[in-house]
Amino acid sequence: MVPLPQLLPLAELEVGKQFYWHLGNFHLHGQVFLSSWVVIGALLALVVVGTRSMKRDPQGVQNLLEFLWTYIRDLAREQIGEKAYRDWLPFIGTLFLFIFVCNWGGALIPWKLIEIPNGELGAPTADINTTVAMALLVSLSYFYAGLSRKGLRYFEYYVEPTPIMLPFKIIEDFTKPLSLSFRLFGNILADELVVGVLAFLVPVIVPLPAMFLGLFTSAIQALIFATLAANYIGEAVHEEHH
Amino acid sequence: MIALLTTMPLFAHGGGFGLNTNILDTNLINLVIVIGVLVWFLRGFLGGILERRRTAILAELQDAETRLSQASAALAQAQQDLAAAQLKAEQIRADGKARAAAIRTDSELRTIEEMARLKQEAVADLNAEAARVTDLLRREAARQAIEKALKVLPGKLDSEAQVRLLDTSIANLGNS
Repeated sequence: MVPLPQLLPLAELEVGKQFYWHLGNFHLHGQVFLSSWVVIGALLALVVVGTRSMKRDPQGVQNLLEFLWTYIRDLAREQIGEKAYRDWLPFIGTLFLFIFVCNWGGALIPWKLIEIPNGELGAPTADINTTVAMALLVSLSYFYAGLSRKGLRYFEYYVEPTPIMLPFKIIEDFTKPLSLSFRLFGNILADELVVGVLAFLVPVIVPLPAMFLGLFTSAIQALIFATLAANYIGEAVHEEHH
Repeated sequence: MIALLTTMPLFAHGGGFGLNTNILDTNLINLVIVIGVLVWFLRGFLGGILERRRTAILAELQDAETRLSQASAALAQAQQDLAAAQLKAEQIRADGKARAAAIRTDSELRTIEEMARLKQEAVADLNAEAARVTDLLRREAARQAIEKALKVLPGKLDSEAQVRLLDTSIANLGNS
């Protein structure tokens, strides 16, 4: 029997290929930075263009941005609550827009037109480092939100409703960022791989359903990430009514 | 097939940066289709949402503007009414003051006139009384003088004296 790695070039699909940048002792995944910069630039350009000459009659990009803002505002208000959502609206909005544009950019921009020395360009969210960074930011945020709003009384949350919950609540603090990062990373990477494999086997038409499904799921993933982040912050700032 | 697969790596990497012009390899046809369908879909779906949103906002603005203009008109009307009322009040107050002043001067004038009339009447009464008394006194004096003359006259009046009196009287007639 022929050894699998030689038989199937699908092994090429492994995510190990990286375009490394060396910065001191760090090995940075350069392709992630490059595509992140493109995404960030696109978002900034969109926002700057949309807000540069705002009119009372919302047209074009301004209308779109206002619509997005209303959408994110509603999301944050629903999850965090009326009292604290204003403080966290920018964070939630940034998460949602960044992840959404990353996902869709990865699925829609023909990145493979550009060859880089090693690895390939794609959605920044298909790299575990990006999603872990964002998930840890969410963890920091909800700790900060809880501590700044309630002080040390925040830790009452761990023994409510009964002290039996304490170990589970502590484990939750670890599982929250873990699940956040792995869910997003896994979905986007899986989508890219499915499309990549299908496109490799049958280049035209056949990958289309998978691509549309990918667009749908990646939009949903952005929504899920933002909603869960807002929900965690909302849990942390939630005041128990005794 | 296997040979094809093994000789064609799924993702080509050259030595450095470059442009991959292999249309099948870059999945370009599918991307164009996906982007086309997406643009078509979003133009209908998102465009519809945004247009409805815009219409709703414009309608709300229009409504607010209408209400603003109505309120401004009502305010202007009310201010006008207020000014008119203030003017009227001022006029009424001025009228009242004028009438009060008129009444006061009138009554003062009447009092003064009355006083003058009373004084005049008193003076007239006094004069009339004085004239009556004077007349009375004069009559009394004349009556007493006549009585005295009648009493004295018969003793003193003899014919010689009568003659002299007549002469004097005649002479006086001639002189006068």
